[in-house]
Amino acid sequence: MTEVRCDIAFTLNGAPVALNIGGHENIVDVLKRLGLSGARESCGQGLCGCCTVIIDGVAESGCLTLAQLVDGRSVQTIEGLDADGALSPVQQAFIDAGALQCGFCAPGFVLMSHQLLAANPDPSEAEIRDYLSGNLCRCATYPEIIKAVRLAASRMRAAQAA
Amino acid sequence: MRGFEFLRPGTLNEASALLATGDAAARPFAGGTGLMLMMKTGVFSPSRLVCLRQTEAEHRAITPTGDGGARIGALASLSQIEHDPLLCRLAPVIARTMTTLANVRVRNVARIGGTLAHGDPHMDMPPTLAALRASVVTSGTASRTVPVEALYAGYYETILQPGELISAVLLPDQTGWHSVYLKCTTRSADDWPALGVAVSVRMDGTTITDSRVIISAATEKLTRVAAAEAVLNGATAGLAAFTAAGEAARAVETIEDARGSAAYKTELVGVYVRRALQQATGAGGN
Repeated sequence: MTEVRCDIAFTLNGAPVALNIGGHENIVDVLKRLGLSGARESCGQGLCGCCTVIIDGVAESGCLTLAQLVDGRSVQTIEGLDADGALSPVQQAFIDAGALQCGFCAPGFVLMSHQLLAANPDPSEAEIRDYLSGNLCRCATYPEIIKAVRLAASRMRAAQAA
Repeated sequence: MRGFEFLRPGTLNEASALLATGDAAARPFAGGTGLMLMMKTGVFSPSRLVCLRQTEAEHRAITPTGDGGARIGALASLSQIEHDPLLCRLAPVIARTMTTLANVRVRNVARIGGTLAHGDPHMDMPPTLAALRASVVTSGTASRTVPVEALYAGYYETILQPGELISAVLLPDQTGWHSVYLKCTTRSADDWPALGVAVSVRMDGTTITDSRVIISAATEKLTRVAAAEAVLNGATAGLAAFTAAGEAARAVETIEDARGSAAYKTELVGVYVRRALQQATGAGGN
């Protein structure tokens, strides 16, 4: 079939971008073309969380998001978290807790953890497990990931109180 | 999945017109979480997708109805429904069910109208809403109200006509009713269920005055089990009535798939209907 193409313009990690895309392409395809490899298509079914992107402040699976639907919207990826040169508290906590091995899933876990902590600054272990149940780590670093989220939460609360 | 046109009408009526063309490969697109999977795996190749998200402002509100129930706009996301204070108060079973429905990202995007219209018998919300006696309202020239339990014609088939779109879900007053949804996953906790059971029981003291028993996932389509309800209605809540209702529910026709044989699922039906009734009423042990 003939490919249907379209022009889209959106905000990517705070900066405007505009490009011509295939109507069938998802946002991960487009991010890759723009040189960003942090969101990765892994399961391709919205189950594993490796393709997590934040669109207008809401976490979505990039692999299920048609790129033309982000036209006019704001997209945040893992690359935006340390754009100022400093790691985010969640990124630092993942390093300190040893919460990654191969690292393939880490961008998704970090972004989802940020979403969780924005909504719930002091989550219980059960709440962390529940919120991150749609993110898969094939190295099974789950205990360290939970520690990392709790560590990030306590540091962020302390920073808030200071 | 190339070569489809993607249209963005401003109203549901315009969307209906764009879909009522006689082309079976034209589909409405709301959250897209179900359709994208079908498109990526080649199960469905659309010629035309009609996006409904532009109608969100008008069709995503969750509002109380005058008779103690709620009206849920079809474009409400599952996350919005999960956290809505009115629905949490009216029917806490909905928020409880959401915690094991897909994941946060999918719930952020999937819309209740699409969830119901997709016709996949493995989904959690259709049986839950059917047990709550919910109905859908459709848009278009021949607008009608259809109970969720009557929405399905078969496996991935609904009674919706081409161009007929769900515009809202109506949830009646739940006073006196107790509802539970249980699902059984046989491979991993996050797998699609081998069986979904939703029950709703209305009590007067220890007597059951009305009930709904809905089976899904193990069956070709969502199925209301009148035989089990007949056992329950008028009975005293307790293990004897719940076991008998489970036995009666075993009469539904189960289908074999990768999650279990038909015979195994029939066993599950008996056990899960009993357990769901025990949990809903707090009677008959657990």
